[in-house]
Amino acid sequence: MVPVFQVGSNLSTFTREISFEDMVEFEQVVWARDANAHNDAEVAKRDGLVKPLASGQTQMALLHELLEKSFGDGWVYGGKISVRYIRPVYAGDRLTPHGVVSAINAENGAPQFVLDVWCENQDGQKTAAGTAHVGQPTQKMSWIEGAQA
Amino acid sequence: MSEVSSERDVWDDIPVGEDLGTLEYVLTEKMVSDYRRVVGNPNAAYPTVAARHPANLFYRKYRPVMRLPNMGQDSEYFNPPVAGKKIIVSAKIHDKYIRREKKYLVVEAKAIDEDGRLIETSRLIGLARPNSIPAFEVVAKKWEA
Repeated sequence: MVPVFQVGSNLSTFTREISFEDMVEFEQVVWARDANAHNDAEVAKRDGLVKPLASGQTQMALLHELLEKSFGDGWVYGGKISVRYIRPVYAGDRLTPHGVVSAINAENGAPQFVLDVWCENQDGQKTAAGTAHVGQPTQKMSWIEGAQA
Repeated sequence: MSEVSSERDVWDDIPVGEDLGTLEYVLTEKMVSDYRRVVGNPNAAYPTVAARHPANLFYRKYRPVMRLPNMGQDSEYFNPPVAGKKIIVSAKIHDKYIRREKKYLVVEAKAIDEDGRLIETSRLIGLARPNSIPAFEVVAKKWEA
């Protein structure tokens, strides 16, 4: 059933624990990176940190998943997001991505949803925050089905 | 102490609009499946989230002199990349500014595939740090305060 969102609607969410092993592997997938502040304790200390912190892209991945699950093609084909990383995420932290519809605008005759989005840690602190612009929610996941939207 | 030095540094000399060139890579099935496994999302549409296109092209030129910790990202997504296709990324310096006495650079990257299909545009908002200073020192102090 296609979700119906109104201003004030909260997106259905989930929680993930970020392990150090995940942080290390995240630095290797798609584009292998050298030792850095996200995957190496010594480099993190040299960079002024007490310990490695998870890449901001880790949080971006969670926000992508939240929006994919809620909007399907409406996010994947034409979605926009603007996020600032405001607190560090360390190994062992449990992150929950959030989204709340803040406005619904008409754009070329179709609704455009504006959302406040953020990630929150196990202590209820925001670790990333911003906004997203998304099209009409749909259950279609054309990128999985192999079709072009 | 102010982060904005009276001395000129690399940041001062980086021109807005500077072309950072292009890079190409093939997004393999393995890259896609590895990404989806690591992030725990078997349907993830954009494994390019882990590719850090703006940072890669920025560091290709500026790694010897500057670090650019990721303070934020502004991105737009058009068509998910298709496994097996070559991705061509181009980037430029989109903006630079000083905020709260800290110097920032905005690096914009645009990714298309070998068929000319637009995949995404992504802007990295980075805190410009000369290599002589620990990259995260200033934000770590704020976080730990």
